[in-house]
Amino acid sequence: MEFEPSAEHRMIRDTVREFCESEIRPIAQEIEDDHRFPEEVFAALADLDVMGIPVSEAYGGLGGDQLMYALVTEELGRVSGGIGLSYAAHTSLGAKPIEAFGTEAQKEEWLRPLAEGDGIGAWALTEPGSGSDASGMETTAEYDPDADEYVLNGTKQFITNANVANSVLVKAVTDPDAGYDGISTFIVDPDDDGFEVVTVWEKMGLNCSPTCEIAFDDLRLPADRLLGEEGDGWEQTMSTLDGGRISIAALSVGLAQGAYEAAKEYAGEREQFGKPIAEFDAIRDKIVHMYRQIERARLLTHKAATRYDAGEPVTKASALAKLDASEAAREVAEEAVQTLGGYGYTTDFAPQRFYRDAKLMEIGEGTSEIQHVVLGRELGL
Amino acid sequence: MKVLVTVKEVGEADDDFEIEGTDIASSDLEYDLNEWDDYAIEAAVQLAEAGIAEEVVAVTIGPERAEETIRMALAKGADRAVRVWDDAFEGTFADVSSKVDVFEAVVDEEEPELVLSGVQAADTAFGATGVALAERIGFDHAAVVNDLDLDADAGVANVHRELEGGIEELTEVDLPAVLTVQTGLNEPRYASLRGIRQAQRKEIAATDLADLGLTPADVESTLTLTEMYEPESDSDAELIEGDAGEAAGRLAEVLREKGVGA
Repeated sequence: MEFEPSAEHRMIRDTVREFCESEIRPIAQEIEDDHRFPEEVFAALADLDVMGIPVSEAYGGLGGDQLMYALVTEELGRVSGGIGLSYAAHTSLGAKPIEAFGTEAQKEEWLRPLAEGDGIGAWALTEPGSGSDASGMETTAEYDPDADEYVLNGTKQFITNANVANSVLVKAVTDPDAGYDGISTFIVDPDDDGFEVVTVWEKMGLNCSPTCEIAFDDLRLPADRLLGEEGDGWEQTMSTLDGGRISIAALSVGLAQGAYEAAKEYAGEREQFGKPIAEFDAIRDKIVHMYRQIERARLLTHKAATRYDAGEPVTKASALAKLDASEAAREVAEEAVQTLGGYGYTTDFAPQRFYRDAKLMEIGEGTSEIQHVVLGRELGL
Repeated sequence: MKVLVTVKEVGEADDDFEIEGTDIASSDLEYDLNEWDDYAIEAAVQLAEAGIAEEVVAVTIGPERAEETIRMALAKGADRAVRVWDDAFEGTFADVSSKVDVFEAVVDEEEPELVLSGVQAADTAFGATGVALAERIGFDHAAVVNDLDLDADAGVANVHRELEGGIEELTEVDLPAVLTVQTGLNEPRYASLRGIRQAQRKEIAATDLADLGLTPADVESTLTLTEMYEPESDSDAELIEGDAGEAAGRLAEVLREKGVGA
């Protein structure tokens, strides 16, 4: 059993860390305050070959594995949850399904620009009235045999990257009578006629990562925009989320790590009653507990990624990692705010940002409640 | 043209560190590529990208651990690397001359037209290896180079040298040459992830003294470390308050007390 990443993985992690420290950390709060998607950061990440880490070299990716992708996602989260989230959505949800389910032609046209970092990926599952329960999906794609096209209508909610995306993988009902087997996936170009970004949400955190409501109004899609077969959409979703949850777990570990480091540093410097507050049991124990939670979450995340890379089933491991790491991120960030006291509550210090960002990790890509459902099922309950 | 870049792995101490014998405890050290060697690598890779250098070879003297560091040079674009180590170096403190003995042998083998070297190493900071090597191998040299324009056809390196007192010297150096590189020459790139992956498959030739036709006696160092200690430091800061006139008066008083301008 290997607990340390390989030399190659460490070198990649350290290089990305160095990049994050120099290029992202100094602007992390500013892009949050300005609600600005930092295109220049993503261009620089593209130059470093970060945008297509777990995508095959045949389509412009790096050909790395899920563990490498998780290590890098953690590093991004350690400095900016928003950049980490847009990155994870781009990779796990926007790019990986095209690699897994697309035709050669689709991969050339739609996957390559994402893997090479020329475009940002997105996907659209959630709707205003359909979240954890996808059976209520109302977006439809009706086939028009005369034109050999699908006609897309409906609204999707909380879509990360939708207003900056090169492509959005949209889930839509193609057979209303078939339940989960009637859902299909389409590759939608935001430039397609009938695509509208209705809202870019103001959020509690993660504001440099755009979250949109989008609407399709008789949006006509050529038949070659269908990803996989009609009716495959739900099964694709389950398998996509198995991988995606590992990246949200990794992002959560990064948020926790960033918050922990800020708290530890502060506690070592801040003196009250004549000594650094880290020397008081109350604060020392807090920081030790943070460390314990992070270490646990990271091990679960690396285990899930390692299983994924070995081709083993990961539904249970990825749900557990995501459940544990997202909770750890929120709790560690909260305790980091507490450690910094009044300063922790100000935007001059990072913990509040990690705290805001961490909350979403317990919601996106399956809420914690849904992770319990998944785990219960996996345990045979 | 072949470019040889000498690189060194340097240890940087944590804020709190222990001294073990005549060195800082290795558990308190973070090893990294020497900053100035990073500029030298970048300069060499830029020469390769400009079609001037056909091959960039990095060379280091260091134990197996140093491979991780020298691999970073490969990730940034060096074509291959030579790592020289020998039992003879274990537990000794190699002086400039013993390092030059090794690099001279490597130069004989590689026959580079240009040798780039960081102006100094962040740990020992002798600032001597590059120029001493030039002297030994009979190459022209320029030290503390912060601007480089290489005219390969004319066989000339046009360089700026940073001298004391803010003076810059513009000079020409005939190739073959050794240049020691100062901050400001370039902005080193981040290694791309593809570069890092490719670097795992690039050659790092593990070389010992015998491979270079040397014996332990050839590289014997005249320096031994006798003691390592933390110098005592007083933090004795005086904050001068008052308006500009008062502050200047007090400052002048302090300077006079300390013997400045006496």
